[in-house]
Amino acid sequence: MKAAPFEHHEPTSLSQAVSLIESLDEPTILAGGQSLVPMLRFRLARPDTVVDINGIDELDYLHEADGYLKMGALARHADVEDSELITERYGSFADAAPLVADPQIRNRGTIVGSIAQADPKGDWGSILIAHDGEVVAAGPDGERTVPIDELFLLPYDTSLGENELITEARVPTPVEREGSAYHKLKRKTGDYAMAGVAARLILDEDGRIETAGIGMTAVDITNARAADAEDHLEGERPSADLFEAAGELAAEQSNPESDEHGDASYKERMVEVLTQRALGDAAERAGVTKRRVTP
Amino acid sequence: MTDEREITLTINGTERTLEVEPRRLLVHAIREDLDMTGTHIGCDTGNCGACTVLRDGEPIKSCLMFATQADGSEIMTVEGMEDLPESDGELHPLQEGFHEEHGLQCGYCTPGMLMAGKALLDENPDPDEAEIREAISGNLCRCTGYQNIVKSIEYAADELAAQPATDGGTAAVEPGSSADVAANAPGTTGDADGPTAADDADGSDQFDGYDTEGGFSCGVENCCGGPSTDAEHHGDNA
Ligand SMILES: Cc1cc2nc3c(=O)[nH]c(=O)nc-3n(C[C@H](O)[C@H](O)[C@H](O)COP(=O)(O)OP(=O)(O)OC[C@H]3O[C@@H](n4cnc5c(N)ncnc54)[C@H](O)[C@@H]3O)c2cc1C
Ligand code: FES
Ligand code: FES
Repeated sequence: MKAAPFEHHEPTSLSQAVSLIESLDEPTILAGGQSLVPMLRFRLARPDTVVDINGIDELDYLHEADGYLKMGALARHADVEDSELITERYGSFADAAPLVADPQIRNRGTIVGSIAQADPKGDWGSILIAHDGEVVAAGPDGERTVPIDELFLLPYDTSLGENELITEARVPTPVEREGSAYHKLKRKTGDYAMAGVAARLILDEDGRIETAGIGMTAVDITNARAADAEDHLEGERPSADLFEAAGELAAEQSNPESDEHGDASYKERMVEVLTQRALGDAAERAGVTKRRVTP
Repeated sequence: MTDEREITLTINGTERTLEVEPRRLLVHAIREDLDMTGTHIGCDTGNCGACTVLRDGEPIKSCLMFATQADGSEIMTVEGMEDLPESDGELHPLQEGFHEEHGLQCGYCTPGMLMAGKALLDENPDPDEAEIREAISGNLCRCTGYQNIVKSIEYAADELAAQPATDGGTAAVEPGSSADVAANAPGTTGDADGPTAADDADGSDQFDGYDTEGGFSCGVENCCGGPSTDAEHHGDNA
């Protein structure tokens, strides 16, 4: 099917884009188009105006600055996948990038577009939750930051204003004794998650868990935080028993729906397993030595 | 109707100017405006990869991009393969591979597979099986079961390696420029290089033996049909 006709704008600077978006009635932003183009074709979205931001070079970056890993609105999945900085320092991002969609889609789709899409099955939202990330939104009243926990409202719905665009997604740069990981269960390569879990751990000098972050994919109406599991982990020493308990708490807090890929109880069990695995990898990457215990 | 816009594409080396509506998909511009029907459309959702073309050397799904967005770029489609130096005016080694190894049945997915294969070999002239499967993971084939597609791409890699590196040939890409998609896989990443908290502590401080490497594999190669390499590198088959 063809998209309905729309008016098309291609700003080449952020300030141009901001004033355009302010002046237009319900403009739709086009980033990688990997979600939006099919929605336009199915006429699930019928905007009068589309603002294509791909020509705004100043939004094309992925780097560390001011204590954050910053991903500009044009940083693509493939940029994360190919980045040495990511491979060296951001375990969860390195785990997730090759698991998002397929190579062609990763060449076009953006991290920010994926977050703005607010699909509960999107992978990056969970990772931002685990890392206590935030997005920077630009609008008529200037710039503001929105913590990730305040962004997702409903499937495909965010707290962004109609005349706002996200310029950047960011997470704090890792500190000493920090590790993170992402585990995803899917039916086949290239698919969205049936369930996914991102975990981030920071240990104190004593080896106790100082900060724990857990974000879950595809098991609630939005990407969701496993807050009870996080609380349970904080102050404790990493162990298999502890991670098992955290997995159970995450599963309890998840709220999956039965569908053709599996029933809700199966998915809850998968949340439990994926949480344990993600925590295990995060702990190892934070420097905890894994010890094989022979029963 | 909305206004048409003039765009310029360099398609298979030839510059073409066309008038398109903003809502015109690149794949429709290629098939209908430029009359090159080698690029197929197999779905409405971006899933099948039949519409894969190279845009400035990078594989993309031309059904997920508006033609206006490709303004000024170089597009390569299956029709351009015979003009490549490594084809010597005949079939490209990839096409020859699909012929020799029976890499197609109905042929619907083939142009997309060829483009995905081309992008892979340009980056990584000597891919292993996992890398090939990863590279074609965005391309669905209803017929072949993928085995012979993998063999076809391996055939082409061998052919290209055997070709003398001719002047200006794009065939010989420096070894070592490999993208190593699969080999870069996570699981190797350390986030912090700080002291290991548990190093000097006693056993009770240690993370006691949870096996995080637990990828499930039923042991039957390709039993799930798809071009999946996941079981090997992500352990995500919980
Ligand atoms: C076959 C297929 C498989 C996929 N598999 C996965 C998967 O496994 N995991 C996953 O996470 N995703 C998956 N995706 C989605 C893919 O990651 C998309 O790239 C992503 O969801 C959207 O990013 P985009 O840049 O393409 O955004 P677009 O499609 O351009 O935009 C998506 C939405 O966000 C809005 N938007 C975009 N940028 C901004 C901005 N800067 N500010 C405000 N609003 C903005 C748009 O208006 C639109 O509503 C898949 C997609 C396809 C087609
Ligand atoms: S036609 Fe483009 S992915 Fe199916
Ligand atoms: S040969 Fe028929 S779809 Fe691949």
